[in-house]
Amino acid sequence: MSVAPVEVERPASDEAVVPDVPWVTIVWNDPVNLMSYVTYVFQTYFGYDTSKAEKLMLDVHEKGRAVVSNGSREEMERDTEAMHEYGLWATFRKDD
Amino acid sequence: MAEPFRSGRKGLEVRLSDAERELLASLFTQLDTLLDDGRPESDDPFDELAALSGLAGLGEGIETLADADAARDAAAPPAPDDPAIARLFPEANRDDPDAAAEFRRLTETGLRARKRAAARAAAEVLSRPGTVLLDEGQAQSLLKSLTDLRLVLGERLGLRTDDDATRLGAMLMVGIEPYEGWQPLAVTYELLQHLQESLVQALMSKRR
Repeated sequence: MSVAPVEVERPASDEAVVPDVPWVTIVWNDPVNLMSYVTYVFQTYFGYDTSKAEKLMLDVHEKGRAVVSNGSREEMERDTEAMHEYGLWATFRKDD
Repeated sequence: MAEPFRSGRKGLEVRLSDAERELLASLFTQLDTLLDDGRPESDDPFDELAALSGLAGLGEGIETLADADAARDAAAPPAPDDPAIARLFPEANRDDPDAAAEFRRLTETGLRARKRAAARAAAEVLSRPGTVLLDEGQAQSLLKSLTDLRLVLGERLGLRTDDDATRLGAMLMVGIEPYEGWQPLAVTYELLQHLQESLVQALMSKRR
């Protein structure tokens, strides 16, 4: 991601995500999308609060990828399509 | 440059010079053209529905399920040749090529149509004279189209890593030109990045 100034609030306590359905949507890092934009997409589309959106964005930026949602295959395909509409690089896969 | 986008009480204000707006409108129009894959875009709502569900070009004549399957497969768009456009419609499943192909068949036509519509809307909005005010929906549409434009330019500039993107500014400053015509592309990319950041901040300030 492109580095532009971002305010990082104190992170909320870690929530363990235990998927009870077996598919996930993954967002991958890319050199074009701004950190602020990625955060904005996670807030706007998924409705995540600022803290969670920024944590996921930082995971994408620093680790190269992050699981941004989980659910049925159809739901993950829908989320992936939405990410593509926002220009994010997203894939869906079975969660092992 | 003054802050290009500013959130005010009446809406999101676009503050760009005429020259900047003209350049941007031209770029968005080019994006729309680039996204045109030659497949028909129709005004007929049924055609659009058919296109969005991957049944474009079906017409009449589905006699059997086999016909429908064949027509659907025939309507499926192949992965784009142009790497810049391919970046706008990336492979959606890295483990399963069939799942990726099905995803493309079901979604690309609709995605492409929506991206083209957003590019045309962006060009239209930026061509308006005088002060331009956007509501949140228009601003979000512009933001998405700006992203598409930056992705295309990023591909053209060969950006692969975060370092590549960071190096762009430094190369411009020092006057390095990897190939003829690189500099105007890089300058445009930097301008669009500045606009993107400004628009995101303006939209985020509305949420607070």
